[in-house]
Amino acid sequence: MGDDGPTATTCSRPGAFARAWAKAVSGTSYLPMTQAQLEALLQRLTERLALALRTDPFDLRIGQQVGAELVQAHIASAEGLGRTIEVIQLRLVRDLDLAVDDVEDRMARLLATVATGYARALRDRTLDEQEAIRRAAMMARAQAERALRESEARFRHQATHDPLTDLPNRTLFTERLTTAITAPGRGADRIGVCFLDLDRFKVVNDSLGHQVGDSLLVSVARRLRRALGEHLVARLGGDEFVILVERTGCTEDVVKVAEAALAAVSEPALVDGHELTVSASVGIVERQVAGTSPMELMRAADSTLHWAKAAGGARWSIFDADRNRRELARYALSAAIPTALDRGEFYLDYQPLTGLRDGRVVGMEALVRWRHPELGVLRPDSFIPLAEETGLIVRLGSWVLAEACREAGTWAAGAAEAPFVSVNLAVRQLHRPGLVQEVQGVLGRTGLPAERLQLEITESTMMSTVAEPVRALRVLADLGVRVAIDDFGTGYCNLAYLRDLPVSELKVAGEFVAGLRAPADDPGSRTDERILASLVSLAHALGLTVTAEGVETADQADRLRAIGCDAGQGWHFGRPGPAVPHLGRSPALTDTAS
Amino acid sequence: MQRPDWAPETIDIERPSVARMYDYYLGGSHNFAADRAAARAMVEAVPEAPLMAQANRAFLRRAVQFLADSGVRQFLDIGSGIPTVGNVHEIAQRIDPESRVVYVDVDPVAVAHSQEILAGNDRAAVVQEDLRRPEAILRHPEVRKLLDFSQPVAVMIVAVLHFIPDADRPEEILRTLRAALAPGSYLVMSQASDDGRAGTGERAEAERVYRRTDNQLFFRSRAELSALFAGFELVDPGVVWVPQWRPDTPEQAENAAQAVFMGGVGRLGG
Repeated sequence: MGDDGPTATTCSRPGAFARAWAKAVSGTSYLPMTQAQLEALLQRLTERLALALRTDPFDLRIGQQVGAELVQAHIASAEGLGRTIEVIQLRLVRDLDLAVDDVEDRMARLLATVATGYARALRDRTLDEQEAIRRAAMMARAQAERALRESEARFRHQATHDPLTDLPNRTLFTERLTTAITAPGRGADRIGVCFLDLDRFKVVNDSLGHQVGDSLLVSVARRLRRALGEHLVARLGGDEFVILVERTGCTEDVVKVAEAALAAVSEPALVDGHELTVSASVGIVERQVAGTSPMELMRAADSTLHWAKAAGGARWSIFDADRNRRELARYALSAAIPTALDRGEFYLDYQPLTGLRDGRVVGMEALVRWRHPELGVLRPDSFIPLAEETGLIVRLGSWVLAEACREAGTWAAGAAEAPFVSVNLAVRQLHRPGLVQEVQGVLGRTGLPAERLQLEITESTMMSTVAEPVRALRVLADLGVRVAIDDFGTGYCNLAYLRDLPVSELKVAGEFVAGLRAPADDPGSRTDERILASLVSLAHALGLTVTAEGVETADQADRLRAIGCDAGQGWHFGRPGPAVPHLGRSPALTDTAS
Repeated sequence: MQRPDWAPETIDIERPSVARMYDYYLGGSHNFAADRAAARAMVEAVPEAPLMAQANRAFLRRAVQFLADSGVRQFLDIGSGIPTVGNVHEIAQRIDPESRVVYVDVDPVAVAHSQEILAGNDRAAVVQEDLRRPEAILRHPEVRKLLDFSQPVAVMIVAVLHFIPDADRPEEILRTLRAALAPGSYLVMSQASDDGRAGTGERAEAERVYRRTDNQLFFRSRAELSALFAGFELVDPGVVWVPQWRPDTPEQAENAAQAVFMGGVGRLGG
């Protein structure tokens, strides 16, 4: 075994000297071989030593080679050399029974050459090993530094990329956008940002599960990256992506990018086994770098995206500064409503509903006004739609209801049959579970009889009416509260609700009444008059009263009276204003009716 | 104690490394001044330290020879240190050039040096990992590439276990490794032991020296080391002072306790 090892060469069996030598050096250092291998090695070297002693002239190289071979065989310690010299000096000549002239002289020279060869080889080995370990330390350090850099790069990647799609995230996008805007010399450049949002992504998540939703996002991300290679595409979160278009020439350049993005998104794709086709909406902003900021661009693109969404999706919209200003103003206004309520900036005006037969004020519609500290008095059309969008209508509507009932409660004094107060009810109010309790509470607190409260709901409200609101209205009607349909005849609706709802009055929209201003023989006017007449007879047939809105002239009032309309509302009878003057127009004081 | 994967360690040659101290005991020059200073202090305290290292290295050589003769062709040497003379792959590949060897060490310098030594040998590799993370070792791509765990593998944990305190649950480390091995696999272990030598004061002194390094020293008795072979059948002569483990010549086994290391070889049955 081990014949091709360090002790490779075969030679004669180890003699007494080789065995003694092996014994002397074993334990002086780690020897990677068996005792037998060691003895065989030393037997070979012994023969070399004998040769060196005999050779004439003396050959320095033989002893030096023996010394070097000892080191190469890892008999490479100071002790190993010491014991080697000792054993050669003491035993070599005797054990081998050598007959040599000048043996002392030759032995001294031999030992010197062995020690020289040994020391030289050991020095070389030491230097080699030192070099090797230093190189290893350098390599290890380089590897550690590379690992550190890689981990930093990985960490940076994680911090700047979205883990789901591996697209850049908001952080990286903002960085790039900021650089594009604030870097020196960029002021004259133009820049574009597209906000992209999938249409009805929630439906995918809700119907197919979040996993499919996530896979869809990954697929969309891949398609966007492929389609928009040169432009930075980032995922902001959810199904919202953003594209940075640098150094644009004009808005058209960004529109092209947006169209490419929309096309990429709308490619049908197989996602987790589902064939999905989705669309997206894109908000585009493109402008000169000078004078803008990353925040402003992002915000503008975001609002523009919502315009595209509101317009039905699957399209792009371009930022429009005027529209944005208007929306910001509207937003500011709606945000101010809660504070305005707290500060008592709202108040009510009233417009009378006047009986056409006797001219008596039968009711008054409460109309909310906002005395805005900066903008002056605001009419409801400038803030009610906002309040409806934001849901603030519920709080505002409650205030109107309570205030109207409170004021109406004071009208009773001095009038035998005080008019009812008519309060508009928004859809959201109608859908609130606590409506009945709220109305009961207000009536209880203000002492207003239920019969003197009328709630106006629009026809379109009833379109979406489901069981719960109908039940609430029925309870209120049973209490005696009047229910009126506002703007009757203008919405799309079927008349079936008249069967289900406890309605007591129809308020006919001003459009029909406007037609009555024309001469009676005008064909259009005649049509309106006929429509009004049939509405009145329909209402009366159902036991409902009819109030015509928008009555502006005495002539209109006369014609409405002639077709049997019960009451009128409009400038002819009184403009919106404080309640008390209207109360003063009751027939008891000003007998206007004939 | 587990560092996150992304935090590389620093390479500090001013701090003694147990791998390079061991190289010094073996008469090597793969070491720096700090290693030599610590090793000399160790020799002061425990004069047999170089003998211990030599005896342990000789045990490793005989064990690999035994395993190769027994037909093992795959070796996983954990805590391989500085490759000097008589490495596992040299012994194993001399017997069968097809033998595959993966070295594992936690010391980055030892690993870098091993890479240099093994360059061009496509049946041997080195991996930087910690014995205390056996799962990480077992799933390491290099380990997976070279070793086939459906065939017997010899796991060598030689002169390493005394750096693993009981708190690091060596029995669990070994259970994890054992679970990955096919029947016919082997476990080779040796570690510093004060069995029957307690109270000489050498132990405390040795422990004190090693506190300078990243690796503290923990002695174990024969019984404790034997217990760690749980699940393996100990090959004759069991857990003994390393010179007594299948010595080449009877003289080698004399004064065996001076070697301080106890070791043994276990075979996974089945």
